Amino acid sequence: MESAVSAYLGAAISIGLAALGTGLGIGMLASKAMEGMARQPEASVNIRMSMIIAIAFVEAIALYALVVSLILATK
Amino acid sequence: MNTLEHLKQTEVINVEVAGIDASLTNGTLILFLAVALVVSFYFIVGRKAKLVPSLTQSAAELILDFIRSEMLSPLGREGEKWLPFLVSLFSLILVSNLLGLIPGFVPPTSNINVTATLAVIVFFTTHITGLRKHGPWSYLKSIVPEGLPFFIAAFLFPLELIGQLARPFSLTVRLFANLFAGHAIIITLVSLIIIFKSFLIAPFPVIGNTAIMAFEIFVAFIQAFVFTYLSASYIVGALQTEH
Repeated sequence: MESAVSAYLGAAISIGLAALGTGLGIGMLASKAMEGMARQPEASVNIRMSMIIAIAFVEAIALYALVVSLILATK
Repeated sequence: MNTLEHLKQTEVINVEVAGIDASLTNGTLILFLAVALVVSFYFIVGRKAKLVPSLTQSAAELILDFIRSEMLSPLGREGEKWLPFLVSLFSLILVSNLLGLIPGFVPPTSNINVTATLAVIVFFTTHITGLRKHGPWSYLKSIVPEGLPFFIAAFLFPLELIGQLARPFSLTVRLFANLFAGHAIIITLVSLIIIFKSFLIAPFPVIGNTAIMAFEIFVAFIQAFVFTYLSASYIVGALQTEH
């Protein structure tokens, strides 16, 4: 395979897999947080706050992959 | 087509200091504008502070109270002297993120140099305060959780050290990549018109970009909050170690 082709392929695979994992992670986080909110509505403010922080952490992993794939794609 | 075109730094004023290129780029100028906005806002609000707050004073007090109660509450009264640092960090990141949403402006925080500088400032602040408070030996010991057998502690120490050194890196990339990715998505959606060579596709980028822009306002607040929250938790962790 030509090196440019494999770089583009690597970029696509890296961001695709990262998006898969991050999507699963954020989905799990949100579902558990909503379960908690439904069970204890009086704690929903705190739960929402920590959910947003945790989502920012998970999202950052996809963005690391985005940086990697941009480096690969603009090679 | 280059997706990074709109984030490129272009020189506005050429400055060279001792052979080092220190030109003012558009990103630098916007960063200066953000600093000027933050400083003048707090200066004007703080000078005319009243017991019954005006609208602007309430906004400033909202940010202060939010950071005090949300991030510095574990420190109690000791946390009061960390308030100025965290409030200026939060305000600067927030204002730079929001300025970048104005068309034609580059967000200064979408440049990795800016976010790396902020993260390195936080790194040194954390460790120097920890060293000053606890002394070198006990601060070094406090990296590993207390009460472990010696060989487990010796095994954990390098791992914890790597974790400590990875913190500025993750702070840098989180803020930079969020801002950068948002703007890359906007330009990619717009350039769909050029890729498909047809105006019939135009409604999709217009609607999509409106949604993305609204999401970017949300991201600007969240990322400023997350950066400040993590910095605060690092500082709190360095100051508070169980003995």
